Formats: sequence, structure tokens, C-alpha cells
Amino acid sequence: MSGMNLEAARQTFIEEARERLQELEAGLLALEHDPQDGEWLNAVFRAAHTIKGSAGLFELDVIVGFTHRVETALDRLRSGEQAFTPALGALLLRAGDHIGLLLDAAVAAQEPDAALLQAGQALLDELARALGEAPPPVPAAAGTLPERVERSGGAALGPEFWHISVRFGREVLRNGMDPLSFIRYLGTLGRLLRVATVTDGLPALADFDAEACYLGFEIDLDSPVDRDTIAGAFEFVADDCTLHILPPRSLAAQYLELLRALPEDDLRIGELLVNSGCLSRVELEQGLRRQAEVQPSPPLGHILVDQHGVEPAVVDEALRRQGQVRERKAASARFLRVQAEHLDALIDQVGELVIAGAAVALLAQKHADTALEEAASTLSRLVAGIRDSALQLRMVPIGETFVRFQRIVRDVAHELGKEITLQISGEETELDKSVVEKIGDPLMHLVRNAIDHGIEPVETRLARGKPASGHLRLDAFHDSGSLVIEVGDDGGGLDRERIRAKAIANGLITADHELDARGLAELIFAPGLSTSDSVTQLSGRGVGMDVVRRNVESLRGSVEVHSTPGAGTVFRIRLPLTLAIIDGFLLGCSGSRFVVPLDSVVECVELDTAGAGVCPPYLNLRQHALPLVCLRELFGLPAGGGARRASVVVVQCGGRRAGIVVDELFGEFQTVIKPLGPLFAPLRAISGSTILGSGEVALIIDIAALVQLAAQRRPVLPSRSPA
Amino acid sequence: MIELHRNGQRLAIAGELTIYHAAEVHAALVPLYAETELDIDLSGVSEFDTSGVQVLLLAKREMAQAGHALRLSGHSQAVLDVFALLELGGLFGDPQLLPAGGAPA
Amino acid sequence: MPKTIMIVDDSASLRQVVNIALTQAGYEVIEACDGQDALNRLDGRKVHLVISDVNMPVMDGITFVTELKKRAEYRFVPVIMLTTEAGEQKKLAGQAAGAKAWVVKPFQPATMLAAVAKLILP
Repeated sequence: MSGMNLEAARQTFIEEARERLQELEAGLLALEHDPQDGEWLNAVFRAAHTIKGSAGLFELDVIVGFTHRVETALDRLRSGEQAFTPALGALLLRAGDHIGLLLDAAVAAQEPDAALLQAGQALLDELARALGEAPPPVPAAAGTLPERVERSGGAALGPEFWHISVRFGREVLRNGMDPLSFIRYLGTLGRLLRVATVTDGLPALADFDAEACYLGFEIDLDSPVDRDTIAGAFEFVADDCTLHILPPRSLAAQYLELLRALPEDDLRIGELLVNSGCLSRVELEQGLRRQAEVQPSPPLGHILVDQHGVEPAVVDEALRRQGQVRERKAASARFLRVQAEHLDALIDQVGELVIAGAAVALLAQKHADTALEEAASTLSRLVAGIRDSALQLRMVPIGETFVRFQRIVRDVAHELGKEITLQISGEETELDKSVVEKIGDPLMHLVRNAIDHGIEPVETRLARGKPASGHLRLDAFHDSGSLVIEVGDDGGGLDRERIRAKAIANGLITADHELDARGLAELIFAPGLSTSDSVTQLSGRGVGMDVVRRNVESLRGSVEVHSTPGAGTVFRIRLPLTLAIIDGFLLGCSGSRFVVPLDSVVECVELDTAGAGVCPPYLNLRQHALPLVCLRELFGLPAGGGARRASVVVVQCGGRRAGIVVDELFGEFQTVIKPLGPLFAPLRAISGSTILGSGEVALIIDIAALVQLAAQRRPVLPSRSPA
Repeated sequence: MIELHRNGQRLAIAGELTIYHAAEVHAALVPLYAETELDIDLSGVSEFDTSGVQVLLLAKREMAQAGHALRLSGHSQAVLDVFALLELGGLFGDPQLLPAGGAPA
Repeated sequence: MPKTIMIVDDSASLRQVVNIALTQAGYEVIEACDGQDALNRLDGRKVHLVISDVNMPVMDGITFVTELKKRAEYRFVPVIMLTTEAGEQKKLAGQAAGAKAWVVKPFQPATMLAAVAKLILP
């Protein structure tokens, strides 16, 4: 579902499914002792049923398909069609294990691989044999109905809207269904042009039952949806209403047929159709003459307006106001749901537009035509405006992500026997949708970590003179062009001595290595460092803080930690507001242009040993060996003609540094990122491209990949030797 | 909750004019059909559904047939919304005044 | 005033997803984990729509809807039953109890939103 971050719910699902699997297992084991126990049979069935039902919500179709077969087998056990045998029990236990494996794949956000799918099919076949069935294929999950477009021929006759004629059954209201709701729902599918209430069904006073429904409606709807969607609006009263749907451009004959099919007076409904433009008066009159049967009973609307002498002016006024009400209603409903990919396509096209605009500006400059230059500059300004507006469309508040933690904090705290209150602020802070989607996991980890390791057990807290209830805080705000999210707790803070000991034990630092408090705290982001004494159920999932850092950095963000012993820890995540534009730093090498994200740049130093053509693998920078990457060598660029000096741009990513050797530094540069086509996918150290004001293309360097390359010292293009 | 207040030829309906109370309101209205003029004040109606519409339609029809006048007044927002949706304004023929200052939701 | 919907299901993640989807669409949501829990939580509170699973511990959906419809203040509340493709009989039993609308499990949030929107808009 677009626009919604379901990460937290997905996490709940995984945990819940694991619990259900345990129930399934416990139930199957209990059934081995008492195969007749209905309670256990029910529990086992329900476990499978719940996993399937919830998996469907997350589009985990393989789990749905597999569990469906298991559920069916369990249903047969439950209904007594099939006797429970230890062999069947053992098979079902294996099926449960298999669901566990599928969940593992879901955790890793991977599609199950072929081997796993094969194993699943083998289990299902075995299950089918055990139940004495022919092995069925894995059923497709939650299929969607094929779209059906039904429009009457291409003739440009008839009105351009749908006409819907509906008469409701007597019991509709008592069943909790309000015809108003169905009509309002139609209004969400398009524009309601006309709704005429048909009151002819109201009975004589003596027969009137205030809880029965007597109304019908003739509706004109302007909508691009198909017939099934319109009929679907009445799905829940399908057996309890008479529905006629005429598609746009229906012919007069079809409307006349509708008239005949409807129970009311032809002339009156005919008037309605003429008034709303479905039929012309001539068509109606001719049609009715041909039918030559006009019923006498005078309908309600006529009595009211013709006989009772309501002032036409009053009626007109009422209608006018009605129109106003409707207009305002429309104004309040001006939120549009837009598919994410449409938005992405727009942003992409705007990116193209920016580039095309730059090209025009450049040409104008070349031609030295003042009028053309002015026009080009106006164009550039407008394009920049469009770009900003387009990016704004993708901004969503972070609140939805935060709110989900309420429940998780409660549940996890409960599980650990801790008392924790969660305070959320800055929910309205907006950031790019694509960033929001990816920040759920790292946040989840930080929150869990705070509950598990940060906030002390109640006894410890009381002993330290703190309130029994721990305090966890989620906050978001904008700070100098980036978004900051803080996860803070009032726990014990990081245990620096233990971190130090672990780091030494893991060979991350040497025993004599002196680190300041900050440096020690940063160590928790190093791969392979876990400081918890006991691997609890919560954090024993093999995900460490290094993964958090990596996730955040893949969003071009950064994460830092501030810890005060005894008083708590604050993790601060800093993210770019959008992934489509970055503050870049423009570099030149052998006449080519490159951009690195500005926030990855630590410093720039001069390399005085260059000029000879080959740059050294390392630079001694203040007594530290800095691995160097020469862009010319890396990308096989021609040797620079006149470059006597070279510069080293020191970049940092994930706590590791590298130096990029280039010829020229051009400074800061606002960069609109264009993704590279699949053709460039093998280029590991390039993440995208951008167009400079001069029309030249600059490649954007993937700092994370580059730093890694520097460590491994491998060329990007192994097949091509540097020229 | 529904409350009916009668004051001579005036009946004020307040609360939920919905299926839960339609029968009650209908029963209260039937004796009033005999009045030559009746004014129903809808300003207190908080919820309004099809059953509410039907009760009012029936009252209008019955009174009209007897040559009596039924006026609806003070349409609340809930009533205005339904009247707008079902285009009932013309059918009842009463002026609908939008609540002062309050823009429809 | 937002319309209030109660979702009754023993799966926390299902409730959560439905809750998120409905809340985002502008409804107010009450969660309950089974029929008994639902009856306890209702306690005279105004609810415009109930979504209920059939198969639940403590009190199943059919019993719950039957009980719900016995209470005067909920006798006309629309109920969406969560049925399974294999559960045709349960669906009929649910309809007899007064649940006239249904959504087949497993479903996508969008499907649930559309089903709800047909009965009440936020």
C-alpha cells in the first residue's frame, strides 16, 4: 500500500508468526499424547489460520500459499475427516519448521530461493499423500480480478457518464447498510453529477415501517472506473437491491429499456433522464409513444411542486445553496491519493527537464543572444520552481512511523518486565517518502536496543535513585537542511569500560590505544561488537549497531551517539530531506567531472608527490596511513596534460576514511541526482550522474563503495588497463 | 440519543435521526399530521440517515395530501449534507440556511 | 466527528495494519482481540462499524455478532466478517447472525479500506 510505512507492523507480524509457530508446535506435540483433544486441534488450526491471514496483508504470497495447505489439512483434522496420527503430526511439525524458514526469508526481505520453494513443494506433496489426495499445485494467493472494461461501441452517441439506477430492498437499513453510504462511496469513484431520489416506493401511512427501506436512486456518475467497480459499490447489498448500470455513451434505446425495466412511472423517471441529459425530450416522447402505456398514479415530486405551490424562487435558492454546499464539500476533499510510481516518474521527468533547461541556457550563452539568454534564465527559474514543488509532493510526516512504536515499546517493555513511557515529539516533521520507508528498521533497532540495554531493570533504577518507570523519547526536527531524529533514553548510558574491553578482545583496538569518551562510544558502531552480557531473545537476532549505521548511511545520513554515564544515551540520526538532491562537492580529474556528497568530505589536502603520474597507495596524514584512490587510475582516464599538482579529498564513510586523488577542486555544488541506467550497473563506485550548468555530465561517486574499494585496492574495470 | 420538543405547531428534533430512533420519531410525528401547519426544527440533528429522510418524506407527503403545510427549518450540517447528496432541497421546498459563519465540513 | 470502527481479531499484526490503514483514512479505531474482549470494550460506546474475524479464542465471531445484535444500542451496526475462501458455511452463519458484509482473508489493506468506505465514509 503506497504512502504507508508498514515496517513496524511487519515486525509485529514476524514476531507474532513466530509465537504462533511455537503454539503450533506445542499443540502438535500435545496431540501426540492426546490425538482427540479438540482444544489443541483448534489452537493448532488457529495458529496456521492467523499466520496465513496476516501474511496476506504483507503480500508474503509464498507463506500464504504454503500455510493455506497446512491450514486445510488441519481443518480436516479438526472436522474429524482425518484422524491424527504420529506420522501426520511429524509431517506437520516439519511444515511448521518450513514456515519458520519462510519467515526468515521474509525478515531478510528476500524472496524465498528455489531450494526453499522446492522443499516446500515436496512437503506439500508429502502432506497430500498422507491425506490421500492428489498433490495440488500451490494455490495463488489473494488473486485479483482481471480488469474488465465495458463500454458500448465507439459511436459518439449518448451521454459521457455512467447512469446507475438502484432500488433498495426493505431489509437494507435493518442490516446496518445505509444507501447514503453507497452513494457517498460512488462519489469517491468519480464525480456525482446528479442524484435523483425516487420516493415512489414509500407506502401508505398505515403500511409504513420506519426501519424498512423504500427509496431508490437514479444517479449520474462521471468516472473512469469500470463496471465491476461501480457494481462493487453495492456488493454488500447485491442480494438486497435491484441495480441497473448503463455505461457512458449508452444509446437512447438502452435508456428506454431501463425505463421499461423500472417499476415507477415511465414519464416521471423519463423526465429525470431528460433533465440530466441522458435522453433528449424527442427521444423520450418517441420512445414512450411507442410503448403507449402511461400509468396514472401521480408521483410525489409533482404533488409537491405543482399542486402545493412552492415558490419556484425558494426552490431555486435551495438548489443554489445546495450547489454551494457541494462545492465546499469538494474543496475539503482535495486530498488525492497518487500512486508512488507516478510521483517517481514525475520527479524523474523533472530531473530531465532541469538538465534540458541547462542545455538551453548553455546554448543561449554560446549564441550571445541577450533575448534568448533572458528567456532561458526565466525558464531555468521556473524549472527550479517545478523541481522544488515536485519534491515537495513526496514529503510525508514522520508521525506515522513514530506512532507505531507506542505499541512496540509497550509490548517489549512488558516482555522484559520493565516499565517504560514513550514520549513522541515532532511527528509533523516532513521528509521524503523514500527516506521514511527505509528509516523504520534502524529506528526499530535503536528503540529495541534502548529498551533492552539502555533502560535498567526496575530494581537497578530504584537503587540508583531514578523513577521506576524508564523514559524513552522519539523526536524529529529540521536542522540546517537536514532532518534529525533522536532516540533518547534515561538509562545507564554506555558502559565504556565494557565497550573498551570488547573492542580489545575483538581486535578492534589495541590495549594501549587511548580513546576519548566520544571515540569509545563510536566503537559500538563497529562491526562485530556486541556488548550485551547475555544474548536476550530481543537482541539475539544478529543485527548490530553496525547495520544501523550502514542503513542510515545508505540513505546518505549519519548516526552518532551521545552518552552520559548513569543519565542516559541519545542516538542522533541525521538524514537528508530528500534523496533526489544533494549538496555536492565538485571535483575534476583529467578533464572529467565528479561529485561527492559534501557531508562525506572531511578535508582537502595537497599531494605534493604527484605529477610523476603514479600516485602512492597511502598518504601519511598526521601519522595515520590514509589509503588513496586515484580517480584517473580507477576509471582509466587519460593522463592529465598539465596537472602538476594533485589534491586529495579526504572522505569518510562508516567510520573509515579514504583519500580521493584528483586534479582540481571546484567546491560546493547543488546536485540533482539522476540514476544511472542498467548499462552502468557494473560500475561499483558510481551511484548516479548529474548535469552541470555547462551541460557537462558529472558522475556522482558512491563514497561507501569507494572507501571499500580503497581498502581492497581493486580496480573498478578489471578488463581494461589504465591508459 | 434523540430528543423531541413540541411547542404548539413546532417540533424540534435533536440528536441522532437515524435507524435507531426512526420508529420513535415517526410515531411522534403521526399525530402532528393533523396540524394545519407544522414547523420541524432540525438544528439539533447530529446524525441523519436514510431512515430519517424517509420519515420526513412521509410526513411531507401525508400533510401535503391533506392540504397542510410542513416546513423544515434550521437544517443542521448533518441534514444539509444528506439533502445535498440526495438533492432533496427541491423536493421539500424549504430554504436551507447555512449555519452562520460555519463552513460545511 | 470521525467515525469509529472496531476491529476484532486475534492477530495483533492484522489489527495493527487495519488500524493504520483506517486511521490514516480518517477513522477512529478500537481494537479487540476476541469477541468477549470486544463486548467488554464496547460498553455502550458509539461504534459505527464492526470488523470481526470468525475464528478466535475465548469467543468466536459468530457468537460475538449474535451477542452484539442483541444489544439495543448496537442492533443496527454494520458488521464486516473476515471470512476465508473455504469458509462458505461460516459466511452464511455470519450473515444469519447479522454480519451482512464480508472480506475474504487474506486481504490487502486497500481491499479493507474499500469495503469499509462502502459502508461508512470517515
